[in-house]
Amino acid sequence: MTAFVNPYKKIKDLHPKEAISPGTGLCAGCGGLEGLRLAMKELGENVLICNAAGCFTLLSVYPFTPLKSSWLYTTMGAPVPAAQGVRDALDIRMAHKGLSNDENLLVMAVAGDGSSNDIGLGATSAALHRKLDFIYFCYDNEAYGNTGFQLSAASPLGSATQTAPTTKVHPAGAESFKQDLFEIWKAQEPTYIATVSPREPVDLSNKFAKAKTLQGPRMFICMSPCPTGWGYDPKESNLIAKLAVDTGIFPIKEYFEGKVVHTKPPKKRLPVEQFLERQKRFRHLFEPERRDDIIALIQQHVDEYWRRYE
Amino acid sequence: MFRIRMHGRGGQGIKTASQILGSAAFNSGFQAQDFPLYSAERRGAPIVAFTRISEDAILERGPIVVPDLLLIGDETLLESPQAAPLCGSDESTVIFINSEKKPEELQKHYSLSKLPLQWNLTELCIQYLNHGMLLSTALAATGARLIGTISLQALLKAVESELGAQGIPKKALEKNHELAQTIFLDLPSTTFPARQPADLQANSLIVMEQKGIRDASPLIFATGNMALRKTGDWRIQRPEIDYSHCNKCLICYARCPDGAIRVNADDHPEIDYDHCKGCMICAQECPGHFINTVREAGAES
Repeated sequence: MTAFVNPYKKIKDLHPKEAISPGTGLCAGCGGLEGLRLAMKELGENVLICNAAGCFTLLSVYPFTPLKSSWLYTTMGAPVPAAQGVRDALDIRMAHKGLSNDENLLVMAVAGDGSSNDIGLGATSAALHRKLDFIYFCYDNEAYGNTGFQLSAASPLGSATQTAPTTKVHPAGAESFKQDLFEIWKAQEPTYIATVSPREPVDLSNKFAKAKTLQGPRMFICMSPCPTGWGYDPKESNLIAKLAVDTGIFPIKEYFEGKVVHTKPPKKRLPVEQFLERQKRFRHLFEPERRDDIIALIQQHVDEYWRRYE
Repeated sequence: MFRIRMHGRGGQGIKTASQILGSAAFNSGFQAQDFPLYSAERRGAPIVAFTRISEDAILERGPIVVPDLLLIGDETLLESPQAAPLCGSDESTVIFINSEKKPEELQKHYSLSKLPLQWNLTELCIQYLNHGMLLSTALAATGARLIGTISLQALLKAVESELGAQGIPKKALEKNHELAQTIFLDLPSTTFPARQPADLQANSLIVMEQKGIRDASPLIFATGNMALRKTGDWRIQRPEIDYSHCNKCLICYARCPDGAIRVNADDHPEIDYDHCKGCMICAQECPGHFINTVREAGAES
């Protein structure tokens, strides 16, 4: 296979056409919407989005839709089964029912981290096993944001959520490390997996441009800073996304042809507390007294990850 | 019974304000009820919160249609047909507006049928909390002061219990106490016109009938029509590009989550104020700081 050449070098190169119109009811400063907007600029209009219940339920509110593409709404566990059904229907109609190939659509599942890590993971695993030809976009704000920020398997250790608040018995809040969805998916060897961040729009666009040229399951995890749930001023969304990358907490990488490559490795990793201290969900690690033990645990986890690659 | 309705936007602390006011009334020996009302939209979108205060048991439920006191935390809502904060107010309703404009000016500007009460809570919030739109304490203190039967001590206790429950740091709590005290002591009192008690009207029962599947599953055939909904009135602050310095790097355009910044014919970024929600990411991210932050009510439109 010939090597894929990244089409974009700088922000000015980004695809000029918007595929999502403004006016959605999503929060001001939503990091996930920023990721999806950049992704859809690249994927274009001939897409059918199977959208799991979640924050992005608010994308389309009857009788309005911000999308230039098609949209099918599903339950929280079923965006991938829906994608399978749509893919099969398109294939069968093109093969036997005279549907013109020009009318083929790119099938895309859009789901939050709750759907991706918990409720819908079984169905996703089955689709990866069948090598379903689709794109999966997980907007990861590390909790069930739409219902008021409850714990999901993607909630990081030390974060306070509605269902895992910080208490005397559970001072850390969430007590498990974030589930490594990338590695779970990787075990089933899909065609392509990438983590992206709205902070790196060029990297994000290049990865979607690349995925567009491929067949089979193409999986994305998009870091989605959430002003409402994480507790910071919306204007800092990109700053938070940057710190997640610079501290090494959110590695930007891709998996392709059996190899994992970090496309935006942090040059010099910052201490994790620079990411943590700006967010209300981690405030209990700093006030009323500093919990150096928990912060050290988070730092150690990040260090261990990077030791494998640095 | 005393019925208070508060209007603001998601993220301004309106729900908390109704809780503080309810607790303050409770601490003063009253019975109280408080609850918010908002739709699926959130931060920046209009929200309403209610507090009922009474010496006797409160049997009334549901939203307050005709309020005795209307506390409007965000002046821009007065022009929003969706929020319609004045809805249901009558000649006995006392209207309070957080604004830097004088009451006469407000009455003229928004064609109000009567003179509102006014105080610049935002400025006080900036002064005490270093953030102009954290109105929870300020609006509750305003309500407590205007109602007149709630003691300062009961108010301060309520601020502590309600904000304490949200895990606010001690220093911030002290600042909120100072803010509550300042408003409570400085704001002029008011008198409430007597209101004729009206009987509650029951609506006739609506019988729901089963519809066919076609009617029940919504289909949208248009694409991208969400732009018909204007989210520009969510803004508390407005970003303004300083074109004399803008070097067309387009970072603001790439960073806008809503795609509310477009690139115009001469490659300059241009903000779509009909839809900009005022998250201010662009102002924060502009490398040369050439995007100014202007408070919305005072911005030139």
